[in-house]
Amino acid sequence: MFLALREMSRARVRFGLLICAVGLLVFLILTQQAIQGGLITGFVGALRQQSAPVLVYSVDGERTLQGSVIDPGLEAKIRGVGGVAEAGWVGQSTFTVRVDGGAESDAALIGYEHSGLGDPSRLSSGRRPVGPTEVVGSAADFTVGSRVRIVPSGPAGATSPVFTVVGLVKDAQIQVTPTLFVPWAGYEAAVKAANPDATTVLPSVIAARPTSGVSDTELVRRINAASPDADALTRSQAASDTPGVAQVQQSFQLIFLLYGLVVPLVTGLFFLIITFQKAAALTLLRAIGARSGALVRSLLVQVVLVVGGGIVIGIALFAPLTLIQLGAITIRFDPGAVLFWSVGLLVLGVASALVAARRVLAIDPLEATTGGGGL
Amino acid sequence: MTTLAESASTTGHALEMRAITKIYRVADDEVVALDHVDLTVASDEIVALVGPSGSGKTTLCSIAGGLLSPTNGSVAVAGQEISGYSGRQLTEFRRASVGFVFQTVNLIPFLTARENLLVVDEIGPRLGRVARDRADQLLEELGLTDRASNLPAQLSGGQKQRVAIGRALMNDPSLVLFDEPTSALDSSLGDQVVRLIRDEMKARGTAAIIVTHDDRITHYADRTVNIEDGRIAE
Repeated sequence: MFLALREMSRARVRFGLLICAVGLLVFLILTQQAIQGGLITGFVGALRQQSAPVLVYSVDGERTLQGSVIDPGLEAKIRGVGGVAEAGWVGQSTFTVRVDGGAESDAALIGYEHSGLGDPSRLSSGRRPVGPTEVVGSAADFTVGSRVRIVPSGPAGATSPVFTVVGLVKDAQIQVTPTLFVPWAGYEAAVKAANPDATTVLPSVIAARPTSGVSDTELVRRINAASPDADALTRSQAASDTPGVAQVQQSFQLIFLLYGLVVPLVTGLFFLIITFQKAAALTLLRAIGARSGALVRSLLVQVVLVVGGGIVIGIALFAPLTLIQLGAITIRFDPGAVLFWSVGLLVLGVASALVAARRVLAIDPLEATTGGGGL
Repeated sequence: MTTLAESASTTGHALEMRAITKIYRVADDEVVALDHVDLTVASDEIVALVGPSGSGKTTLCSIAGGLLSPTNGSVAVAGQEISGYSGRQLTEFRRASVGFVFQTVNLIPFLTARENLLVVDEIGPRLGRVARDRADQLLEELGLTDRASNLPAQLSGGQKQRVAIGRALMNDPSLVLFDEPTSALDSSLGDQVVRLIRDEMKARGTAAIIVTHDDRITHYADRTVNIEDGRIAE
């Protein structure tokens, strides 16, 4: 510890620059991790937040709410599957709306037939709707009391429903669009206002709940076995299997893999270089009786201090970023992700210093008699 | 029959080497660096070890200091038989029982003069305040009190050697090994340093071996030992 701290205090600029470099990399990693989380939440947050444990799409819908349509025949087959305790309609469409009389914008409406099957699992504020003109909105886009008017198509002056936001739910967008959860009657009215020619409003998916003793995955298996046209998914599968989500995750994972290589490479090379540079001093220490293990410990203390310092700087830079909204994407401070990366980078940093540690272990104290570096 | 360690202990010798042979293997060849060398150094004796390059001076010194193990023979330092020691035991022996002043690199560049002395305490069981007091006392004796906070780069050649001598004395060794201590100094400074070595060793009653090419050093030594082709020349 004495040697490690003394060396760092006498080479503040050198170690300080490395700590800052690691800090910037940590900042980039945490920011990208948060962007990935925010992006995916923006895509499929509503699916995660809705209450139905099982969602049944039509195969033709390719696992998108808006592309899926359940016809009455398929609905009957789904309802007839053993193990279905309760089933209800869930529809989703995107509409042009005016919020509080403002400019036109887009909003996604998710209509649900039964409470507990497609409405939000829990609200972050406000209350649940008690009538067809009350809605729960995504917290990032609406406030309680906002009035949302569906812009009707057809002749000027046509009537259209006006919804009042009575509750909010966090992380509940779909397709990175402001999202409203509305009882089925309200949803049906909105669809007909936007498309006056529509005679029947069909559900996008069937939300289902298994009977006691039947797991969600077992119900999924039974429904898929009952009809080749049904594509049942659990709530988490529906979110993760939405087209585009896996590709986004893979892209970010590739970026994280690169960071996971860059951080230990930077620290590993740095410590290898300074181990070479101070080879003569290390040889002298070995000659006067320092154990090689003590010198390796000193090296590892420096690695932990450098990576640890970098993590602290990275978190300090990242934390203020989580207080702002990045367009439609919410950047969250996720303690789990921060802890994961902190521990991971520390382990990688220590592992990267093993090459330098091997060099230290290979020092021959006899080299001190020749003035050689021993490396 | 008494062992070498018992003999050294009873006779009060700082160093007793018997029939030391060191053979280096280079590819398929064997190079005999030391050939049945016997050397005894009394507990307060200063021995100048003189000989041409490649004669085996540094090898002999390295074996006496536990930096190298002999191929054959026995070595006892202050009654401690070290020729059979493992690498770990030799490390501990070097830390506790001998002092070194090397020819070239002697100081840790990122430690101050005082810290270069205290590092001896840091690499072993720590004595804390006792070690700090000893470091301050040595610096004072060596005339380096006002240089205690200086880094090696801020010290002159003579001051660096004095710090190295202080470091070599920090562990209160039975034997101090000096390898060409004046080779990087001009004649005046070299003379000062050798006198300092003699004064410090005699004041402490500590034995020393000074490996040198410099004939002037032999005047300060109690005895001069010549070595040639790996053998002590009588």
